[in-house]
Amino acid sequence: MNFLRLPRATPYLLLLPAIVVILGVVLVPLVVSFWTSFTPYNLTKPATLFQFVGLRNYERLLGNADFWWAFGRTILFITIALNLEMVLGLGLALLINKVTWGQRTLRTIMMFPMMFSPILVGFQFKYLFNDAVGLVNNALFDLGIIQQPIPWLVDGSLAPLTIILAEVWMSTSVFAILLLAGLMALPKEPIEAAKVDGCNPWQVFRHITLPFLMPFVYIAMTIRSLDVARAYDMVRIMTNGGPAGRTELLWTLMTRTGYNNSQMGMANAMGYVSILTSILFTYYFYRKLVSARAFMGGAQ
Amino acid sequence: MSAGSIERPWQRWAIRIGVFIAMLILVLPGAWVVLTAFRPNIEVLARPAVWIPQNLTLHNFLGIFGRLDTQQGLPVANYFINSMVISVTSTVVAIAVGMMGGYAFARYRFRGKAALFLGFMLSRTVPGVALSLPLFILWSRLGLIDTSVGLIIVYMAVNIPFTIWLTDGFFRQIPVDLSEAAQIDGCTRWQAFWKVEFPLARSGLASAAIFAFLTSWNEYALASQLTRTTASKTMPVGLMDFTAQFTVDWTGMSAMAVLIIVPALVLTFIVQKHLIAGLTFGGVKG
Amino acid sequence: MTKNLWRALLASSALVLLGGAALAEDFDYGKFEGYTLKVKLIGGTQYEKLYTRLPEWEKLTGAKVEIVSSKNHFELDREIKQDIASGSIAWCVGSNHTSFAPQYGDLYIDLKEFISQGELDKYVPGTLASAMVDGRLVQLPRVTDVSNLYYRKSLYEDPAKQAAYKEKFGTDLAPPKTYDEWKQQIIFFADPPNLYGTAFAGKDEGLSGRFMELLRANGGDVFDESWKPIFNSEAGVAAVQWFKDIYDAKAVPAGTVNYTWDDIGQAMAAGQLATDLDWPGFAGYYSDPASSKIAAELGFATAPVGSSGKRGGWSGSHSFSVTQACDNKPAAVSLAVFLTNDESAMMEAQAGNLPTRSKTFDEVKTWFVDNGKPQMAEMFNAWQGSLAEARTPPLIAQWIEVSNVIWPAVQAAIVGEKTAQAALDDAAAQATIIMQDAGLLK
Repeated sequence: MNFLRLPRATPYLLLLPAIVVILGVVLVPLVVSFWTSFTPYNLTKPATLFQFVGLRNYERLLGNADFWWAFGRTILFITIALNLEMVLGLGLALLINKVTWGQRTLRTIMMFPMMFSPILVGFQFKYLFNDAVGLVNNALFDLGIIQQPIPWLVDGSLAPLTIILAEVWMSTSVFAILLLAGLMALPKEPIEAAKVDGCNPWQVFRHITLPFLMPFVYIAMTIRSLDVARAYDMVRIMTNGGPAGRTELLWTLMTRTGYNNSQMGMANAMGYVSILTSILFTYYFYRKLVSARAFMGGAQ
Repeated sequence: MSAGSIERPWQRWAIRIGVFIAMLILVLPGAWVVLTAFRPNIEVLARPAVWIPQNLTLHNFLGIFGRLDTQQGLPVANYFINSMVISVTSTVVAIAVGMMGGYAFARYRFRGKAALFLGFMLSRTVPGVALSLPLFILWSRLGLIDTSVGLIIVYMAVNIPFTIWLTDGFFRQIPVDLSEAAQIDGCTRWQAFWKVEFPLARSGLASAAIFAFLTSWNEYALASQLTRTTASKTMPVGLMDFTAQFTVDWTGMSAMAVLIIVPALVLTFIVQKHLIAGLTFGGVKG
Repeated sequence: MTKNLWRALLASSALVLLGGAALAEDFDYGKFEGYTLKVKLIGGTQYEKLYTRLPEWEKLTGAKVEIVSSKNHFELDREIKQDIASGSIAWCVGSNHTSFAPQYGDLYIDLKEFISQGELDKYVPGTLASAMVDGRLVQLPRVTDVSNLYYRKSLYEDPAKQAAYKEKFGTDLAPPKTYDEWKQQIIFFADPPNLYGTAFAGKDEGLSGRFMELLRANGGDVFDESWKPIFNSEAGVAAVQWFKDIYDAKAVPAGTVNYTWDDIGQAMAAGQLATDLDWPGFAGYYSDPASSKIAAELGFATAPVGSSGKRGGWSGSHSFSVTQACDNKPAAVSLAVFLTNDESAMMEAQAGNLPTRSKTFDEVKTWFVDNGKPQMAEMFNAWQGSLAEARTPPLIAQWIEVSNVIWPAVQAAIVGEKTAQAALDDAAAQATIIMQDAGLLK
C-alpha cells in the first residue's frame, strides 16, 4: 500500500486502467489461442481443444505454399498501401494547410471516407468495379475508352490493385488528419527564421517541417500498420481472396481456415506467424519513433 | 497560415485546383453510395448505365423503416441507439484512460517504460481471427455476449493504445516549464494539469476522440461476433441484414449506409471546432 | 326453405368438424402456455415472408417465439460454430441447410423420434432422404434448391437468331438439352459487353457445387465408395474444361469468377445474360417487373444433361433443426413442423420456391393458373423434372472443407493459372489428406 503513495508509483497508477483493459481483452484471449495453435482444435469438436499435437500445425504451415504466398502478398499489400497512403496523406495535409478559407468544411470533407465502415467500402468498391454493371466500366464504355469490359476484380494484376485502391481511398484520410494535426502544432518561429536566412520553401519543408512531422508520420505509420487488418472486412466482400488465390491475404486465409473449415488450431498457428511479423514491423517503427522523438525532446 | 502571404496568384489557384481535385476524388465514391440510396434498384447497377437519375425516391428508406408492405422493417432505432451508446461511452472512457497513460509516458521516467509502451502497441497486432473466438468464449462465460457493455470494453481496448500514442505525442510538445511555472505559482500538479496542459492538448484529444469514435462507430468484424440481437447489434452489423443467402439489396444497404454516415459526419463537423481551437497551439510553444 | 337452410348449415358445420378432426390427426402442435422458444433463423427477404406465420403458431400453442438471430447462412454457420465451441447453446430451433448439416455433429436431435411416420410421409421422399445425416433426420426441409435453367424467350424466339443458329449448327434454336448444346448457345448468344451467354458463381460453395454437378452429369463423382477423392478423373477435367471454354470465349462476364449468387441475379435481372442455371428462388425476383427487366420474357427449362446422359442435379434444402440442448423439445418440434407444413409450403411455393411437401406441387400450379400467372405454373413442371434427379453434395462433415479446396483449383484452371488436370490433381491430394485426417479414408 505504501508503494502506491510514493511519487514513483504515479505513472504506474496512471497506466493501471489501461493495462487492466488490454490484459482482459487481448492478453487472456491471446494465451487461449496460443494454446489452440498446438492442438488440432476443430470448432465443432470441443474435445479436440485438449489434444496436444506439439508443433504439427506449424510444421504443416512451413510446407504450405498457399500460406507463404498469402504471407508474402500480405506484406506487399501492407507496404504498398501504407506508403501510398502516407505520401498522399502528406500531400493532402500540406494542401489543406495552405488553404485559408473553409478549413472546417474542407477538413470534414477530407475525413468523409473515414465515415465509411470497411464492410461498406467492400460492397461499394465491389459494385463500382463490377465488370458488367459497375460504374467504372460503364463510364469507360460510355466515354468510348474501352470496347471490352475490364475485369477489375479478376485480373491477376488489376485485382490486387483495385483492392489497394479501395484501401487507399478508405484510409488516406487517417494519415492526412494526423499529419494535419501535426502541421497545426508546427512552431512558426523556426520557419520564419529560416525564411529570413533565405531558405527556399523546399529547404524549409525538408529541414524544418518534415523533421518536426516525423514523429507524427511514425505514429501514423505504426497505428495504421496495426489496424490495417481492418481491411479484412473490405477484402472479404470484394474478392474473399480469389480468384485462384490472387488476392488471398493472411486474414482471408485464416478466417476461412478457422471458421469455414473449422480448423481453429491451424488458423491460430497462422495467426501467430503473422503476429511475429507484426512485431517486427512495429518494433521497426517504434525505434524510428523513439529516435524522431529524441529530436523533439521530452522525457525519455 | 502565414505562408499564404508570399504566394503568387498562380500558386493560389494551383492550390485551389489541387484541393478541388483531391476533394472530388475523396467524395465521389462515397457520394455515389449516397445517391444510390435514393434511387430504385432497376436504375443502379444497370447496363446501359442510367447516368441521370430518372426518379429519386425515398422508397429504400421507407423499406428500412417498415413502411412498405413487401418487407419487414429493420429495428433501425435500436441499432442506432446501440451504436451511439457503445461508441460514445467507449470513446469517452478510452480518451480518459488513454490520456492518463499518455501523460504518464510523456512526463514520467519509470522502469519498464519502453517495454510497456511497446506492449500497448503490440496489443493491436493481434489479428481479429486469433482474438475473436477466445474473446467470444470468455465473453460468453462472463455473460457479456450480446450486451453493450461487452462491446464497450472491447472498443476501449481497441482505442486505448491509439489514444496513448497520440496524447503522448501532444503532451511531449507542451514544455514542462509551463506546468512547473504553474506549480511554483501554488498550483498542485493536478491543478496545473487541468489549467495548463489539458487545454493545450485539446487539439490532440479532439483528433484522438474523432478516431476512437469513428473506429467504434464503423467497426464490424468484432461487433458481428459479439452481438446477436437488437439488444446490442450496431449499425454496421445491421448492414448485413441486407444480404440474404442469394441476394444483396444494394439500394437498401446504401440507404442504411446513409443513416450511418450522416450522424458521423455531423459529429465530426462539430468536433472540428475543438481542432480549430487547437490551432493557437503552435503559437504557444517557443 | 328454412328446413333446407338448416340442413345446409348442419352439413357445412359437420364438414368443418370433420376438417378440424383431420387437422388434429395431422399433427398435434400442442400447448405451451407461457413458454418462450428461442430460435435462430436465416434472414433475408426471400426467407422472412414465412416468419409472418410465427404469430399464428404463437396463437395456436400459447408459446412465444423469440428470434435471437437472423442472418444469412454463412454468418449463421459461424455463429453456430461459436456456440458449439463455447458450449452456450441456449436456443431451440435453428435454420439449417443440407450442405451444412453434417458439420454440426450431434448438435441437433433425430426428429424421427418426435414426429410420426404418417406426418413425415407428407414430405417429398427424396428431399427428406437428403435431410438425413448418418441415418438421423436432423432437419425438416422447408424449400429445396435444385438447378434449373432460366432463359429469355425474346432471344430464343427471335427469327433472325433462329435462322442464324440453324445455319450455323443445323439444329433449331431451343432451350438446351445437354451441356454441350448449352455451351454452344452460350457462345452463340454472347455479345459482350451488352449480352453474355450466362454467368456462373465463380467462387465459394457455388463453384464447387456447379463443378460437382457437371462432374456427376459427366458420369464422375467427388468420392468413390471408400471416400477416396476421385474428382480429378476424366469427367472432372471435362467439367473444368466446360467452364474454361465459355470463359475463354468471353461468353461469360470476365468477373464471373468473382461472382456469387447476388451478382448473377443482378446481371440476369438487368438483362445482361441470355440464360442462367440457378436455384428456384430467383423465379420470383426475375418475374417481378419492379426489380427485373426480363420479367415479361422469362422462360424455364429443366437443367441440361452431361456426357453420361444424366443430370448432375445439384440440390440441397433449407431446413429447420431442433437442438439437443433444447429445454422444451416438443415445442421446438411443433414449430419446425408448423413452419414446414402444407400451409407454410404453399406460402413458400407461391413466392416461387420449390416446396418440400408432395401435395403442394399440384396445389400451387392450380393457384398460379387461377391467379393469372400460367407461366409460373409451367415453371413448376420444369422444376419437378430437375428435382427427379436431385443429388446433394456428400453428406459428411468434411464436405465444406473439401469444397474449399475444390473451388480454388477450378478457379485456377479457369483463369489459366494451372491446367485442369494439374489443378484437380493438387486439389485431390489436399482432399485426400483431409479425408485421412478425418479417419474416413484409410
